[in-house]
Amino acid sequence: MPHTADLALLQGTLDVLVLKALMFGPRHGYAVASWIRDTSDETLNVEDRALYVALHRLEDRGWVEAEWGLSENNRKAKYYQLTTRGRAQLRAETTRWTAYAEAVFKVLRAPS
Amino acid sequence: MKLGPGIRKLLQRPAGARAVEREVDAELAFHVETRIDVLVSRGLTREAADQQARREFGDLRAARAELAAIDRGRLGRERRADWRDGLIQDVRFALRALARRPSFLAITSLTLALGIGANAAMFSVVDAALLKPLPYADPDRLVSVWPTGAMMPGIFVQVRDGTRTMDPIAGYSGGSAVSMSGAFEPARVVQAEATSRFFDVLGVRAALGRTFRGGEDQPGRDRIAVLGNALWQQQFGSDPGILGRSVVVDGISRTVVGVMPHDFHFPSPNIDFWVPVSLDPSPANIGRYWGTSHLNVIGRLRPGVTAQLAEQEAAVLIDRSRASFPWRMSDEWGTGVTVVPLERKVVGDVGPMLLVLFGSVAVVLLIACVNVANLLLSRATAREREIAIRASLGAGRGRIVRQLLTESVILALVGGTVGLVVAAGGVRALLLLMPPGMPRVTEVAIDARVLAFAMATALLTGIAFGLAPALRASRPTLQGALGATRNAGGTLARRRLSEGLVVAQIALGVVLVAGAGLLIKSFWRLHQVELGFRADEVVAADVPIPSFPSDTTPRARAFFDAVLEEVRAIPGVQAAAVASVLPFGGAGSMQSSFATEIEASPTPPGGSAPMLVRTVVSPDYFRVMGIPLLRGRALSDADREGGPAVALVDELTARRLWPNADPIGQRFRAVWMKPWITVVGVVGTVKRDSLSSAGEVGVYLPATHAAGFWFPTQMSLVMRTTAPMSALAPRIRSAVARVDRTVPVTSPRLVRTLVASSAARTRFTVVLLATFAVVALSLGAVGIYGVVAYAVSRRTREIGVRMALGARAGDVLGMVLREGGILAGAGVALGIAGALVASRLLAGFLFGVTPNDPAVFVAVPALLGLVALGACAIPARRASRVDPVVALRSD
Repeated sequence: MPHTADLALLQGTLDVLVLKALMFGPRHGYAVASWIRDTSDETLNVEDRALYVALHRLEDRGWVEAEWGLSENNRKAKYYQLTTRGRAQLRAETTRWTAYAEAVFKVLRAPS
Repeated sequence: MKLGPGIRKLLQRPAGARAVEREVDAELAFHVETRIDVLVSRGLTREAADQQARREFGDLRAARAELAAIDRGRLGRERRADWRDGLIQDVRFALRALARRPSFLAITSLTLALGIGANAAMFSVVDAALLKPLPYADPDRLVSVWPTGAMMPGIFVQVRDGTRTMDPIAGYSGGSAVSMSGAFEPARVVQAEATSRFFDVLGVRAALGRTFRGGEDQPGRDRIAVLGNALWQQQFGSDPGILGRSVVVDGISRTVVGVMPHDFHFPSPNIDFWVPVSLDPSPANIGRYWGTSHLNVIGRLRPGVTAQLAEQEAAVLIDRSRASFPWRMSDEWGTGVTVVPLERKVVGDVGPMLLVLFGSVAVVLLIACVNVANLLLSRATAREREIAIRASLGAGRGRIVRQLLTESVILALVGGTVGLVVAAGGVRALLLLMPPGMPRVTEVAIDARVLAFAMATALLTGIAFGLAPALRASRPTLQGALGATRNAGGTLARRRLSEGLVVAQIALGVVLVAGAGLLIKSFWRLHQVELGFRADEVVAADVPIPSFPSDTTPRARAFFDAVLEEVRAIPGVQAAAVASVLPFGGAGSMQSSFATEIEASPTPPGGSAPMLVRTVVSPDYFRVMGIPLLRGRALSDADREGGPAVALVDELTARRLWPNADPIGQRFRAVWMKPWITVVGVVGTVKRDSLSSAGEVGVYLPATHAAGFWFPTQMSLVMRTTAPMSALAPRIRSAVARVDRTVPVTSPRLVRTLVASSAARTRFTVVLLATFAVVALSLGAVGIYGVVAYAVSRRTREIGVRMALGARAGDVLGMVLREGGILAGAGVALGIAGALVASRLLAGFLFGVTPNDPAVFVAVPALLGLVALGACAIPARRASRVDPVVALRSD
């Protein structure tokens, strides 16, 4: 599957994306990666290793928690899920990101 | 994305590093395999899919390491947090449990407070004397130098000028009493004499003004003084204008150039001020410069120089200086020289004594710990059910041990905190009891180091006395405890443990009591020593010789004649005399001995001349002191200057110097003087300064005849009187004042008191050790009582059965006593073995007693046995009064 774009992700951006991916319920790492890729119409291609590091860091910070479960293909998988603090973090980051992105757009689209 | 049925099982936290890695592997494997599945479903072969999936992921190994590291960090943090939470929970639980039993808390923490407090107090003394570095700059580089024989000023100068290993170097001699006058009443104060670089060696500065400058130990430049802080406060009201003012010290006017800080006390705390030693090599001073004046030498090692190197150098310098003596020195002098860290010199010989006391007080703490451990044990028995319930609810053994240990550590910390109060009182008591001459007493205090020691001791003891009961209590006895059969197997083992503890306790008690017994017997023996004089009803006071500009000796003699006349007129004084030095004279009177030549047996060249202690006395001295004249004639007022020089010797001296001849008519002289002195009589030998030593040989010279070198700088007045001291003191003072009002008189003391204070160090050790022994004994009694009483209370039912079956009260009494007796017997036997070993440590402190003195080793076990039986008697009587009906009805 060819990747149409290879955007370098800004520092901290991946964390927000992962939190967002978990907003709808527990997911394992592979599902998180697929969700981000599919939802961004394959614009954002997250490197697998970076994704797992992000997941473990988020767990370390207490924003997500993990438990083992059975996947749809009947394998043992590690499922991640947002904690209350993780949910709050996602809200805060979404606000911050939206404001930031709108500001950047405003500047870029300004008539010269 | 749905969760499979029943998969939300609780995630067990991985147990270790290996488990963390296994989880990471499983997670990554799932990812790669899922990707392969997807690729295969899109038509790739399994092999190609496998390769592509791995390629897409990248470096799996690096990812695995990175993820595992993150997880390990998180896990460690969570564990620590859990531990902390658990501890807080344990502490809360322990506090609640202790609060429920206030009497248990009070008894245990007070027992521990006594033990920890006593140890902390003792530690503060040991720390000041032995452990703390000296309070001077770079104390490691300070050394003390002394040759075999003595360091005379003439030799010191050569060592000072020759040394390359020490810079600077100084000599001092400390502790002579002098008269000081100035803006205040004449007073007796204690001076130290030191060479000019003395303060520089120690690296101390004056608090006000300056210390000595180089060269101020030369005659003509030495009329200065540096005051100690206490003297400055007491006599000069801390007047900063003191600098440049003059004080008169023994008739010599000196300018005050400085005041030392309040914490400077070298070489001893009783020093009031410092003056330069006069290094005067003139012929008039030859006897002192090369003979009788002795210096202690301290030096500061140059960087990188060791004490050994300095010692080698000093040996060379001293050997080279031998030739400069104006007379041939004995070959023995200067054969060796010792250079040791100053610290060791300051500590002196008190180290072993302090360590013995410290060891003893540690034993007291051990005994206290045993008591507390036994209390905890019996309490743990009562808590069996609680512990079993906790265990059945899933608490691991480690968790239960920790819970119980938390409780004992809290107990110990409470004990330690209360112990600090005990320690503060203990330190005050120790300082009051402390014999003179203990090193660095001024630095003894409850400071941060003592605080740390007390808390560390508390923590350690908490673990020490808590561990065994905790381990024992946490042993799984689930069925037994829950099944409510109270005499389950665990109880027997528990009883064994507490019995073992009691045996150990009694054994330790025997060791302490035996040590105290040996010392008490030594002390008693010391008091039975024949003094050779009658110390009762003899009062002494030091009277310095007033300074006269000329004709010193005849005028001094006239002064003392007049003083004696006045003193004899005091009501209640039966006889009075003066002497240059008194037996057990204390710090105020220095014994001075001189190298002697005996006419009948001249010292061969290079041999060492006999040293004689000289005592210059007025004729009545022997009558006042009750020293008998054994042969020849007494001194009389007719032995005047100008007549033949005569002396008395004591019996010991007569036997030593003239073993095969009649001492009467024999002649001797000081090695550097011409005139011979003839022995005219022999008097009884007296103990001079120590009850335990054989004594030095000495001669008595008549004050009426002595002149020049022979005439002392101070006299002690001695009176035989029954008058009360309070009435006597002012009368003596006014008697002396009527003759010369500028002369200060020290407060009169009973000679008996002087003798007693010579045994002060022994008394200090005895009092402390006896106190420890009494505490140990009472703790031991409480311990054995507790265990026996507990055993009786557990066996009420059994005793009831026995009595119902016909046992009489006497049988039960005997049974309990027998059981207590077995414990006591085992403890005493072990203790005797231990005491036989431990008493060897005491050998150096004993006098007239062998370390395995049979009387002590019979009396002590007997005493311990009696105490133990007494302690058992109470529960035994209770047992014999058990009512079978009540007992059988009980559980």
